[in-house]
Amino acid sequence: MIKKNSLSFRIITRVLLITITLFVLIMAGYYYYARNIIREYTRQNAIELAGNLTGKIEQILQPMEKVPQMLASTMEMGLIHPDSLMSILETVVRKNPTIYGSALAFEPDFFPDKGTYHMLYAHREGDRVHSMTLDTEEYDYFYMDWYQIPAILKEPYWSEPYYDEGAGNILMATYSVPFYCLRDGERRFAGIATVDLELEWLTDIVSQVQIFETGYAFMLSRNGVAVTHPDRTMIMNKSAFSNAEEWNAPILREVGRDLLQGISRFREYHIPGRDKLWIYYRNLESNLWSVSVVYPDREMFASLRQMTTMGVVFILGGLLLLTLITSGVIERLAKPLTLFAGSARTIAEGNFDVKLPTVSTNDEMKELHDAFSHMQEELAEYVVNLKETTAAKEKIESELRIAREIQLSMIPHTFPPFPDLPQVCLYAMLKSAREVGGDLYDFFVIDKDKFCFAIGDVSGKGVPASLFMAVTRTLLRTIADKEQSPASIMETLNKSLAFNNESNMFVTFFLGVLDLRTGKLMYSNAGHNPPVVIGSNGNVSMFEAAKSIPLGLFEDFIYTEHAVQLNSGDKLFAYTDGVSEAENKREVLFGEERMLEIVDAGKHLDPKDLIKSMEEAIDNHVVDYPQSDDITMMAIRYT
Amino acid sequence: MVWLLVVSLPAEASGKEGHLVFAPHWLPQAQFAGYYVAQDQGFYEEAGITVDIIHPTASVNAMQYLLDGKADIISMFLTSALDAVQKEANIVNIGQLSQHSAIMFVSMKDSGVESIYDMEGKKVGIWKSGFREVPVATLEKYEVEVEWVPILSTVNLFLLGGIDVMTVMWYNEYNQIYLSGIDRDEMNTFFLSDYGFDVPEDGLYVFEETRKNRESDLRAFVEASLRGWEYAAQNREYATRLTVQIMRGANIPSNHAHQRWMLNKVLEMQCISIKEVKPSELHPGDFEKAVSVIERFYDREFTPGYREFFQPVVPAVKKSNIP
Repeated sequence: MIKKNSLSFRIITRVLLITITLFVLIMAGYYYYARNIIREYTRQNAIELAGNLTGKIEQILQPMEKVPQMLASTMEMGLIHPDSLMSILETVVRKNPTIYGSALAFEPDFFPDKGTYHMLYAHREGDRVHSMTLDTEEYDYFYMDWYQIPAILKEPYWSEPYYDEGAGNILMATYSVPFYCLRDGERRFAGIATVDLELEWLTDIVSQVQIFETGYAFMLSRNGVAVTHPDRTMIMNKSAFSNAEEWNAPILREVGRDLLQGISRFREYHIPGRDKLWIYYRNLESNLWSVSVVYPDREMFASLRQMTTMGVVFILGGLLLLTLITSGVIERLAKPLTLFAGSARTIAEGNFDVKLPTVSTNDEMKELHDAFSHMQEELAEYVVNLKETTAAKEKIESELRIAREIQLSMIPHTFPPFPDLPQVCLYAMLKSAREVGGDLYDFFVIDKDKFCFAIGDVSGKGVPASLFMAVTRTLLRTIADKEQSPASIMETLNKSLAFNNESNMFVTFFLGVLDLRTGKLMYSNAGHNPPVVIGSNGNVSMFEAAKSIPLGLFEDFIYTEHAVQLNSGDKLFAYTDGVSEAENKREVLFGEERMLEIVDAGKHLDPKDLIKSMEEAIDNHVVDYPQSDDITMMAIRYT
Repeated sequence: MVWLLVVSLPAEASGKEGHLVFAPHWLPQAQFAGYYVAQDQGFYEEAGITVDIIHPTASVNAMQYLLDGKADIISMFLTSALDAVQKEANIVNIGQLSQHSAIMFVSMKDSGVESIYDMEGKKVGIWKSGFREVPVATLEKYEVEVEWVPILSTVNLFLLGGIDVMTVMWYNEYNQIYLSGIDRDEMNTFFLSDYGFDVPEDGLYVFEETRKNRESDLRAFVEASLRGWEYAAQNREYATRLTVQIMRGANIPSNHAHQRWMLNKVLEMQCISIKEVKPSELHPGDFEKAVSVIERFYDREFTPGYREFFQPVVPAVKKSNIP
């Protein structure tokens, strides 16, 4: 089974979506055009069918119409004896199987001896022809449509369908032709000659028309009344107009009115609650009767629907097959990808020698394979390099760690340093930014009355700085053994450091020599941050800024020294720029001001606590930001 | 041919207690739906009478049935009844169903007959079998002379242009013309009621003697018939179906569309409107109006008075529900 998030699923769903959209569009277009073609074909078929039917009916009606026309002409010639007329009518009916009955009806007193009413009628009764004379006022034919209308209009008339009760009990329509005669030199209306058409018989003919399964043909009279209809209860009773009302289908009224105006049309119509139909209607040529052929929409387009359904089924089947085949192909093509993924995972685990999937094709998959293979080699090489580099780095780091231990062991770190020297209470700390740093501090007693202390910061950082610092510190101890004044110690130290100083390194340096008996402090400052004096009276002030350059730059530089009187309880706070320039992540410096505030706040503390509080303040300022410079502080209290 | 005369007629009116023969004045149609419904629903039986309904033919009218003793009760136009009384037929009105005139003239718009005066000299179709009095009186009042063309029953001569104007019943021929494809806006219509001739039409008539001797049977008939009309008014689809069924039985062209129209309009004609009468009552003013039409028509004085002519059998007619 294809997984929902697999590549092949995504490709197939997209392809299917596009294919189905195309398919729907094509089918819709096909259906639309095919439907139009079928409709046009049906229209032509309907025209032809209605034409044929019309011809067939005209072939019946026109010869029928000739009969009363002939009778009328005969009457107008006035050659036949009134008593022979009946036998002529009988012959007419007998010889014309399409004629149900025939009549001659005369104007009042046309034959003086026959009276007001005189009508001769012959009609079919089974195989026999029955004849009768109607000559009483009981049958007042002068006002019947078949007589009155042609008499007044002076033209032949096809009656509306009606039920003939009494003689044959059948549905019929009558065709009447008026005839005239010359009386007193004047052409006068004399009577009507008629033939009767049996509608049952006409219905049988029209019913022979087969249109699909349930299509049918029917005829309407001039008034739109059914003359023939498969539903025989419609005949004579219902018309296009009455059905338009009963079925709430105004279109039927339009059809009826079209026919009244002699308009032919092929159109669809839909009676509420029934299937859609198509109808073609046209008038007969001889009268305003009409022929209609009805095509059920469902049957008309049945083949199209069937074909469309088949098409849909086939294409759906095809799509299913396409899906199966495509998914198989894509699965096969994409399989190396899964294997490559496995290889990548194995490689990630460090196994660079994993065997890559075999790719036999020469396509993108091959490129991927080659790229993988290249990556494998590169990775292996890189990892070897990395291992070597790491080993080297580890070695250096281990050496640096040792160097730091050595460096830290060079500066005093035992507190309190002189338990037997009550005048001096001292605390100092050095916190390197890297493993080995360039800051230094030192303190020692020169003779029993002189206490020397120093703090410095070597330019640069790392191993060179720490070496320079080690040199500086060693030289300081050596020189301080011989020299007593700070300035001369500084000058000697400077000379030694500047000598052969190829790398131009230097060290800022503050050196103080405190007379333990008097409290007089002699000091010299080589470019170092001025220390802070905290008076026992609570007065906090800085030494003036250094005017001398750092040590190690110019061999012959003359360093000056200054003196200051310390009282009992006065404190000194010396530091390197790692304190005032401690940076946090927003690159805000700790600052001298802040430092002085901390000093002021901690002026009553002893040196150790003062330095701890300063350290804490710096930590709070810096938080987790990596330390960029060594931080060194030294606090001394003179008692 | 149309052999409408050859219709088998029922046996003569029996004259027996509890049995009545009723003859409406026209062929079966929804104009008489109330009676068909009363019979179909058994209202007559419930009222204790049996009723036979016979219809006239093209050549034998209801009055003839009455005269021949073939019917006990007939329906007639008010003017036709007055005419019969004038001719010394001793009949009385026992119930006036219609309260308004449904007669109208119709012309095609394209014929140029736009007003009643345009009918001067035109061919006007009118029923051969009667109902002429009111149309004739109307045109006389407006001093319009026309050529009357008697017509049996169809509108075909009018449709084919054989006559210019046709006298029609609103509930019948007017709609037949519409159902032959002429739209209503293609016709000009002239309701006679708009010309001062709102003369009621259908009423029930019997010989005065019958009225005297068989009052309870007649009351039962009128009451059950009114019930039939009420039921028809409330069940119009049913009444239409029943009528069409009866027409089919008589082989008369019929369809629901037309009969439904007819039923609706006939029921409208029965509406009392503003007159101070009860259903089935003849308003004295209407009587006078009809008398003046008849007197003008025959140019003779009409002697019987309202009380002699209108002798209802239902003294206090209950209120009708007919809208």
